[in-house]
Amino acid sequence: MIAFLSFAVVVLLFAVLVLIARASELTAELKDGKLDYTSQSKWNGYFLLTFLILMFVGSAYCFKVLMPVMVPKAASIHGEITDGLFNLTMLIIGVVFVLTQIALFWFAYRYNESKGHDSYFYPHNNKLEVIWTVIPALVLTVLVAMGMNEWMTIFNPDKRAKDMLVIEATGKQFNWILRYSGKDGKFGERIIDKAHVSPTNELGINWEDAKSHDDFMADKLYLVKGRGVLMKLGAQDVLHSFFLPHFRVKMDCVPGLPTEFYFVPTMTTVEMQEYLSKQPWWQGINPETGEVRWKTFKYELACAELCGKSHYGMQREVVVVEQKEYDEWLAKQTPMYQPAVAEAPAVETSATDTTAAAEPVKPTAMLDHKK
Amino acid sequence: METATVHADAHHDHVHGHEEHHHEETFLTKYIFSQDHKMISKQFLITGIFWGIVGGLLSVLFRLQLGWPNETFPFLETFLGKWAEGGRISQEFYYALVTMHGTILVFFVLTGGLSGTFANLLIPYQVGARDMASPFINMLSYWFFLSAGVVMLFSFFIQTGPASGGWTAYPPLNGLRDTSVNLGSGLGFDLWILGMSLFIVSSLLGGLNYIATVLNMRTKGMSMFRMPLTMWALLFTAVIGVLSFPALLAGCVLLEFDRLLDTSFYLNNIIINGNLLGYKGGSPILFQHLFWFLGHPEVYIIIIPAMGLVSEVLAVHSRKPIFGYKAMVYSIIAILVLSFIVWAHHMFVTGLNPSLAAVFTLFTLMIAIPSAIKVFNWIGTVWRGKVRLSTPALFAIGFVSMFITGGLTGIILGNSAIDIQLHDTMFVVAHFHIVMGVSAFFGMFAGVYHWFPRLYGRYMNETLGQIHFYGTLIGAYAIFFPMHFMTGLPRRYYTYANFETFNNFNFLAEFISIAAIVVFFVQLVFVVNFFYSIFKGRKVLAERTVDGYGYANPWGSTSIEWSAPIERLHGNWPGDIPEVHRWPYDYAVNGREFIPQTEPLKPGELSHD
Repeated sequence: MIAFLSFAVVVLLFAVLVLIARASELTAELKDGKLDYTSQSKWNGYFLLTFLILMFVGSAYCFKVLMPVMVPKAASIHGEITDGLFNLTMLIIGVVFVLTQIALFWFAYRYNESKGHDSYFYPHNNKLEVIWTVIPALVLTVLVAMGMNEWMTIFNPDKRAKDMLVIEATGKQFNWILRYSGKDGKFGERIIDKAHVSPTNELGINWEDAKSHDDFMADKLYLVKGRGVLMKLGAQDVLHSFFLPHFRVKMDCVPGLPTEFYFVPTMTTVEMQEYLSKQPWWQGINPETGEVRWKTFKYELACAELCGKSHYGMQREVVVVEQKEYDEWLAKQTPMYQPAVAEAPAVETSATDTTAAAEPVKPTAMLDHKK
Repeated sequence: METATVHADAHHDHVHGHEEHHHEETFLTKYIFSQDHKMISKQFLITGIFWGIVGGLLSVLFRLQLGWPNETFPFLETFLGKWAEGGRISQEFYYALVTMHGTILVFFVLTGGLSGTFANLLIPYQVGARDMASPFINMLSYWFFLSAGVVMLFSFFIQTGPASGGWTAYPPLNGLRDTSVNLGSGLGFDLWILGMSLFIVSSLLGGLNYIATVLNMRTKGMSMFRMPLTMWALLFTAVIGVLSFPALLAGCVLLEFDRLLDTSFYLNNIIINGNLLGYKGGSPILFQHLFWFLGHPEVYIIIIPAMGLVSEVLAVHSRKPIFGYKAMVYSIIAILVLSFIVWAHHMFVTGLNPSLAAVFTLFTLMIAIPSAIKVFNWIGTVWRGKVRLSTPALFAIGFVSMFITGGLTGIILGNSAIDIQLHDTMFVVAHFHIVMGVSAFFGMFAGVYHWFPRLYGRYMNETLGQIHFYGTLIGAYAIFFPMHFMTGLPRRYYTYANFETFNNFNFLAEFISIAAIVVFFVQLVFVVNFFYSIFKGRKVLAERTVDGYGYANPWGSTSIEWSAPIERLHGNWPGDIPEVHRWPYDYAVNGREFIPQTEPLKPGELSHD
């Protein structure tokens, strides 16, 4: 019945459109066999001007309503700089946006044919064209220089702290494997061949390498405030992308090709919550959960490269703490060596429920090595 | 010039012969296997409209999921069956929808539909030729295009569904023929590769023809700098296509080798469920290089024809010469050259060597300069014109507005340091939809409304046209402007419910979905208008009649496509091809509203070029 009704509505709408077309053809004012556009131009001039105003009001409204909802301020050193660059660029293009849109719509209104003036033959002006080539070129040069400078700083291995944490993150369908190097601060060797890689040892860790004996896997990504961290990234099966939105960190994880990203977190999870508790929007209630927004805030790790049907489910919590708290957490972790060698537990390989079409997929907790 | 004269004369004889014993055309040769550029243009346009509706409909379906992730829509199950069990689009089908939406709109509508329509229609008419250099190859180009579409359409109806690994087809997701890795990566993706290969053949056949026609078949007096900007745009579009599409074809063939023959061009150390597969030594990044070596020029293949159409439409309807004609030509050349050396800005965070990114940032932001020149020149064209705000002019103005808005955010994304955060987020989606999706559509609409009288001898309806314009302008901004604020939300997510961070924008997603659905229905106004006007539209009335042929110049345009009779003759002009004496933008000159290109210079009058 609903299908029939909606079909009827569609047919009716088409009929209305055809009627509008016919009526407008019948009432068309023709001049020498052509449509006389004078009055249409006048109205369209007003409409365009109205649209211009509407667009600016709408844009301003977007800034007012949506800015507070956005991912909050950067919680890493380089993130603050790239955000600054973003804001600077935004400011420049904002000015250009406003001026050019005004010029475009205002001229279309001001010089529409209903104004009864003559068109002005003005095919070019070399001076003007040089000016509006050179000015953008100069501005862009500055932006390129600033961007490149920051980019080369982010990826410069010499700028990394000596005491940095090194953490290994490996993407797979549809989960993250987070490996810490344990007390010795050194990762055990990984060998990617048939002898080492198996369903119980997905990463191909060489257990004969003593450095692997204190390595452990974590279910949350623990970071230390103010301490540089080098993420060693990789992927098992397809492309993934290691994305920490709050830290402005993103790097693809490529099977067979190691990548890395170095950054320094600047705010603990608690500090970020405190900061957000002062923001009006974050003081509100989240209608989905019924809780105050800033209280449930957490840093998160996401996948940003399409990796298959449960791409959207690769969530992990990220916790930033002070060094002392980190040490306490570290002490509680169990190395994966003992259970792996002793009983070789069945590893849950695909954490995702393939039948869950109707339910959002929630990746289950980490590989249960520790249990 | 010598060859052009001989050529025109030869055709002169031919056409006279044609009139005398008028050989009968059957329905099949006239409408189906036509070799007439105007009919092929119509075939491309109508096929493009079909694909436009399909592509738009796919976006409506996935916007239902994004806007209301917790709701169910029972009618979806009625239509889609197992793809929407319980009235909710499945994950697999969601990814198939976004993949095919991208493929269809980028290639089948905005490349095939846009270039195919206007290159075929305008090149012979505006350079003054009887037809394309090779009408037969031109026909083949359409039939390859159509068969590519048939293959793509077919993939919707196979059991494992169409390709669902993204329109960028990155391996290893699309490189393994294992459906446990990705459902749509089975037969659906093989068909995608077959369809794309046919499409590339179509594009190359068409492109070579366009280039040959523009370079060799211009009428007497039509020097390169007397061509309208549409010709420059379509010429350079074809050049870009011919140089870049082969890279994608090569990339796709190697990908299919990996899938079918177990080669390792793109695969290395793949571990599925703890089992190491035998692939060794390939690089997934290699495919991205090959893909984006076409993929980035591709966005210029889409936008440059639209720029050309808009330049012409704005000048004609402003009754004023295009501002800075030569600057417009040189800026297209600059864009052409730069478009080939910026592709890796799609790959800043894919594990590319960081020092390479610096080079690509530089070239990417350099593209903003010719783009800015074009924008200022369009605004300069409107300034102090006598603007006739008809539907084509409105769409041309809408194009410039959209191109500004979308182009500016490119300055943000092209800067590699800022791109770290924005890469693969909704900000990118907003950017490219405005700058190459909506803009190119606006250019295409401007072209269709403007040249409809040339195609069908009738006008499109103004009232419906203007409803279509305002609906699309407001609607498209409503969809994509607020989307910029979803910075940091990854794209291609089925739902954001798993993330505390991304879960705040549901109200906005719902708003965007509503706007998208409205805009989709507004496009149906265009479809109704188009088909209504073919049969019932207001006829173009003859301003003068010579030898039984009626002639009209509906918009008062200088270019020579309007010097042909209203009736669309095979061979375009009944007598000689007109000779061209001046540049194409003599508007508001010597006290006259416009002077057609065919009118000789007065004694003492200086040629503009």
